[in-house]
Amino acid sequence: MTDYTYPSVYFAYFFFFIVFSGAAFFFFKTYKQGYFGKDSEEAKHRMLDDEMGGDYGRKQK
Amino acid sequence: MQKEELIQNVGETPVAPAAKRSDSIHDDTTAKIFIASSVSYFVIVGLVALIIAAKFSMPSFLGSVQYLTYGRMRPLHVNGMLFGWLLAADMGLMFYVVPRLCGVKLWSEKLGIATGILWNAIILGAVVSLVMGWNQGLEYAELPTLLDVGVVVAWIMFGANIFGTIATRKYNAMYVSLWYAMGTILWTAFVYLTGNFATLFTTGVNQANLNWMYVHNAVGLIFTPVGLAIAYYFIPRVSNNPLYSHKLSMIGFWSLAFVYVWTGAHHMLHGPISQWLQTITIVFSVMLLIPVWAAVYNFISTMRGQWHQLRENVSLKFLMSGVVFYLLTCFQGPMHSLRAVNAIVSKTDWIPGHAHMAVLGAFSFFAIAGTYHVVPLIFKTKLYSEALANWSFWLFLIGGLGFFVTLWLGGFWQGWQWNNPAIPFIDTVVALKPVWHVRLGSGFLMFGGIITFAYNILATILGPKGEEMEANVAVA
Repeated sequence: MTDYTYPSVYFAYFFFFIVFSGAAFFFFKTYKQGYFGKDSEEAKHRMLDDEMGGDYGRKQK
Repeated sequence: MQKEELIQNVGETPVAPAAKRSDSIHDDTTAKIFIASSVSYFVIVGLVALIIAAKFSMPSFLGSVQYLTYGRMRPLHVNGMLFGWLLAADMGLMFYVVPRLCGVKLWSEKLGIATGILWNAIILGAVVSLVMGWNQGLEYAELPTLLDVGVVVAWIMFGANIFGTIATRKYNAMYVSLWYAMGTILWTAFVYLTGNFATLFTTGVNQANLNWMYVHNAVGLIFTPVGLAIAYYFIPRVSNNPLYSHKLSMIGFWSLAFVYVWTGAHHMLHGPISQWLQTITIVFSVMLLIPVWAAVYNFISTMRGQWHQLRENVSLKFLMSGVVFYLLTCFQGPMHSLRAVNAIVSKTDWIPGHAHMAVLGAFSFFAIAGTYHVVPLIFKTKLYSEALANWSFWLFLIGGLGFFVTLWLGGFWQGWQWNNPAIPFIDTVVALKPVWHVRLGSGFLMFGGIITFAYNILATILGPKGEEMEANVAVA
C-alpha cells in the first residue's frame, strides 16, 4: 500500500485549523450578537413554550 | 401577567398550559422512524453485548460458530450501539427538538424520511458485513468503505435538514441546544472523515494517532454535543423549569469547541509519539473540566427547588442520573490523561468501564429520557406503563453501576499486575475472572433494562391512540 502519511497528517492539521478558526469566528460573532450580554436569558424562557409548536404557549398567556 | 412577573414565577408554575395534542404543527414522521428503529436496534445489540460478556466468563461459549466469535461480535456491538441505537436515537430526538426550538416545521419531512430509510439500510448492511467479518480493523471505524460513504451521504442529508430548519427559524436568538446540534453536525463531518478515510492512507504510529483522535472525538465531538443538546432541552422541559443560566451554557459550549478536539492523543501516552504532543493532550484533557463543570453546574442549579419531581418523573430520573455519570466520566477522562494514572489504567478494563459510563451512563440515559418524554407526545397517546419505566430505570442504574465500578477497580488491579514483571501475563488474565463474572451479572441487569424500556416504548407506539385511547379511558 502506498503510504500517504504526510498528506493525511496534513489533512488532520487542516482539520484542526478549520475547527479552531471556525470556533473562533463564530465565538466572536455570538459575542457581538449579545449571547453573553444582559438579554441573553430570553431563549431559555421561550424554549418552554415550544413543545406544541410556534408561539402557542405565549398566546395562552 | 407582566413578562417579568412571569419569568420570576416560572419555576413555580407551568409556563404554558398544556396544549391539546392535536394542536401541534409538527408532523414528526422522521422522528418516529428514527426513534422506533433505534429502540429496536438497542434490543438486538444489547443481546450481542450479553454474548460478549458471557465470552469473558466462558471463553468457549459459542466459540465454534465463526459468525459468533468475539472478533465479529465485538465490532458489531460497538457499531450497533454507537450508530444503530445511540446516534439514531439522538438524530430522532434532534428531529423533534430543533423544529420546536425554531418555532417552525421541519425543513423537509420527505428528506428526513429518506434519511431514515438510508440510515436503516446502513445499519442492516453493517450487521451483515461485520458478522461476515468484512472489517477495516480500525477501532470504531470497522465498517467497510461503501457503508462509510453511505454514512457521509446520510449525514449530509441530516445536516441539510437541520440547518434548513434553523435557517427558517422564527426567533433570532438561538437556544443552546441549537448551538450544540449545529456543532454536532459540523464536528461529526470532520471527525468521521478523518477517522474513516484519512486513517486508511496512513501507517504505523501516525495511523494509530489519527485513529485515537477519531475514537476519542467520536465520543467528545459527536455524542457529547448531541447528548448535551438533548439534556439542555429536556431537563428544563421535563421539569417545566427554566435553565439556570443561558449565558453559562454558552460558555460551556464554546469552551468545549476550543478544547475537545485536542484530547484524543491521551490514549497514546507512553507510546512512540512526541513528548510535546503528549503534553498538549494532557493540558487540553485537564481543561475539559471547564465545559463539563459549566454544564453540570447549570443542570444541577436548574433543578434547585425541583428535586422532589424525581420521585414521580422517570425521564428526570434518567436525566439527572445521566448528569451524575457525565460528571464522573468527565472527571475520569482528565485523570486518565495524567502520565502517572495512565501508566496504570491504559489498555486495561478500566477503559471500557470509563467508555460505557460515558456512552451508556450519560448519553444513553439522556436519549432514553428524551424517548420516554417524546414518544407519547408524537404518537398522541400515553406511556404504556409508568411502573415498567421505573423498572427500566433501576435495572439500568444498578446494572450500570455494577458494570462501571467493577471494571474501574478491575482495571486498576489489572494495571498494577501488568506493571509487575514478576507476574506472568496469563496469571493476570485468570485473576480477572471474578471481575468478568460480575460484569456478566451486571450485563443481565442492563439487558433487563433494555427489554423493559423497549417493550414499554413499542407497546406505547402500537397501543391505542388519540380518540381511541380517550374512549378506552371513558369506558374504564
